[in-house]
Amino acid sequence: MVASDFPEGIYLVDFEFHPAKGKDGNPPVPVCMVVRSWPNGETSKYWQDELFKMRAPPFPVGEKALFVAFYASAELDCFQTLGWEYPENVLDLFVEFRCITNGLKLTHGNSLLGVLLYFGLPNIGGEKKDEMRDLVLARGPWSKFEKGAILEYCESDVVALSGLLNVMEKHIDLPRSLLRGRYMKAVSRIQTNGIPIDEEIYEALLNQWDQIQDLLIAEIDQDYGVYEGRTFKVSSWEAYLISNEIPWPRHESGRLDLRDDTFRTMARMHQKVAPIRELRSSLSEMRLANLTVGDDSRNRCLLSPFRARTGRNQPSNSKFIFGPSVWLRGLIKPKEGMGLAYIDWSQQEFGIAAALSGDPAMMQAYRSGDPYLAFAIQSGAAPAIATKHTHESVREQFKACVLAVQYGMGETSLSSRINQPVARARQLLELHRRTYKKFWDWSDAAVDEAVLGGRLWASFGWQIFTEEGLNDRSIRNFPMQANGAEMLRIACILMTEADIQICAPVHDALLIEAPLEELEESIKKSQRLMQEASQIVLDGFELNSDVKKICFPDRYMDKRGAVMWKKVMHLIVDDASATCL
Amino acid sequence: MTQQNSNNLSNEISLTSIKSLRMPANYGATLGVKKLLTNVAVGKPKKAIFFRTHKSIDMVFPGMLLEQKESRENYLVLHAVAQEISELVRPVQLHAAIDRQNNVFLIPVPLPGESGTRNPWHESLAQAVEHAKMKWIRITANMHIGGYDIYEAEGVLPEPEWPEHDIEALGDVAFRGKIISALDHPVVQSLLGRL
Repeated sequence: MVASDFPEGIYLVDFEFHPAKGKDGNPPVPVCMVVRSWPNGETSKYWQDELFKMRAPPFPVGEKALFVAFYASAELDCFQTLGWEYPENVLDLFVEFRCITNGLKLTHGNSLLGVLLYFGLPNIGGEKKDEMRDLVLARGPWSKFEKGAILEYCESDVVALSGLLNVMEKHIDLPRSLLRGRYMKAVSRIQTNGIPIDEEIYEALLNQWDQIQDLLIAEIDQDYGVYEGRTFKVSSWEAYLISNEIPWPRHESGRLDLRDDTFRTMARMHQKVAPIRELRSSLSEMRLANLTVGDDSRNRCLLSPFRARTGRNQPSNSKFIFGPSVWLRGLIKPKEGMGLAYIDWSQQEFGIAAALSGDPAMMQAYRSGDPYLAFAIQSGAAPAIATKHTHESVREQFKACVLAVQYGMGETSLSSRINQPVARARQLLELHRRTYKKFWDWSDAAVDEAVLGGRLWASFGWQIFTEEGLNDRSIRNFPMQANGAEMLRIACILMTEADIQICAPVHDALLIEAPLEELEESIKKSQRLMQEASQIVLDGFELNSDVKKICFPDRYMDKRGAVMWKKVMHLIVDDASATCL
Repeated sequence: MTQQNSNNLSNEISLTSIKSLRMPANYGATLGVKKLLTNVAVGKPKKAIFFRTHKSIDMVFPGMLLEQKESRENYLVLHAVAQEISELVRPVQLHAAIDRQNNVFLIPVPLPGESGTRNPWHESLAQAVEHAKMKWIRITANMHIGGYDIYEAEGVLPEPEWPEHDIEALGDVAFRGKIISALDHPVVQSLLGRL
């Protein structure tokens, strides 16, 4: 990258801001902004009173200029508050640092301070940074001295950015970096939009959660007797298992394996276990007060783009409505006159594996619309005329096998999952290898590449370095996850630029919002653009999508959480809640 | 140009520019990793194994085999030596075979004796090997009839995927370190009671 690529200049930008009214979930209020021209170092500082008077940023943001920031979505959120158009070209040095070091062990992490330390660049130190951040978050009023200190602190960040750009310049793959920067604009749009929350129920839950927890325990635990107060007693659970003749996995030490994954698997095999698993999960994951809901009853939080090794978003589990227990997603409710749609790519990972490996049988299976049944037919376990209804149990086993391969599961885990002997699980996995040989050759080649080449990559340049040791399962899964993430990013770019209101990306799905009369059109447009995104990532291979529509006054409901939602709603002491059942 | 057309055009340009940045997922393409043939077993397939034999006569070769039943080892004995220890070796045809996991092995089928006939075991093995050229089968010993029962797979199973190696390469791997070219070979010396 050279300065001449951007004749109107390269601008390093940093804002100091706090959430409106000091409440997380509200949009940011810019306090000040410092802009530094690169490489000449000319610097301009602006306090908030000046910023709010500006109708556009005080530096070029067209296609011949470059906007550089560290974690640009935060800066761009301030653009939204100020009503400014986004810059055409965005380069995010946080994202680029993640990309060039992904998979490596970093002593100091990925914060600006950590990145400066990584390159041996000067920095102001963590304590000073915390002190200044606290001053900004205090929301003023600030004395003249404090204003000066905040501006100086903000300037120190752009000076640091300048040094960072000097050392990172040679690592930057500009066109793909700009594509990632374009995604950060989409992220800012999505973060600003947020997710509509049913305020009434949310408030009731917040106020009564302590009491509800006790009632839930009392109701569910009466069949088990394993809680003392809010404490799950392991010895009581062990006694319950013995008296109900349920064999339970144990750690090598002999202690019961109480991980949620184990509870989930066992709940599938023993229905009796399901209610207690749901209760445990709800009590442990539910930190309702941490959910960041703004004054306009919308859940907003950092989507934390590029945080996961696969390049996927990794928003805080407690702040993001899709993070905690699934039943809580019932809080998502469109406002009056509005509708939501949850659109997800159908069998995205299977489709990606089929397309990128070029396995014709796998591609054919995907195109059939039911890859699980198609796999059973292709491997000779079901006749060509089989349907989901005539061969339901066969399809379930083959589905479990496909998912097992995607998760890198072995024969023992698969046999538990399908509740069949290990020999059956082994046979299914062998059938997968035999039926989709080209896919397996490609997957083996990915392992060779990771081990010998030390790196794997996705279609638009996201990469992982594998020298620090990555297990076989993670290596084989990386191409599917990382390309899934690329697909989601491109879909977000295309959709936000087409003025579709995205509330949230959720793994392989997008939650969109539109006025009821425009909802159908928005869904159609979104599905077309998601298909376009799949074609772009998979070199012409199209993935389909499924839609779940939620029109006011209905609420979003994940079927896995429906029973729990109903149970909790019955426990809320408020007549108004009766309307939510 | 209308606003709609203009939007479509900019969308097209945007998509084209994104597509041009795509990198192929051709992992391993420059590394040239290939699976080596490191092990070729010699013997009859186990009773639970479905197998096929190669249709081509080029994938069969004759040899003199010395079987060490105790150690389950097979030695290929060169003609000159075989003449000296004819009571210990057996003339066979070695057929290239493959199982459902694509493991290649050699099945030795004893040749008819001087009378031109085989014993029933050898005869039924020869028939099974012939049958396996067209169908996936497994064989089990039937002591009552003194021969092998042949079970044919009922499902429509795909054709085997043979490796690129010729029979010579398979033989090289199968008998690596197990060729007896002189009478002073330790195995021969042991069988002759000279050690």
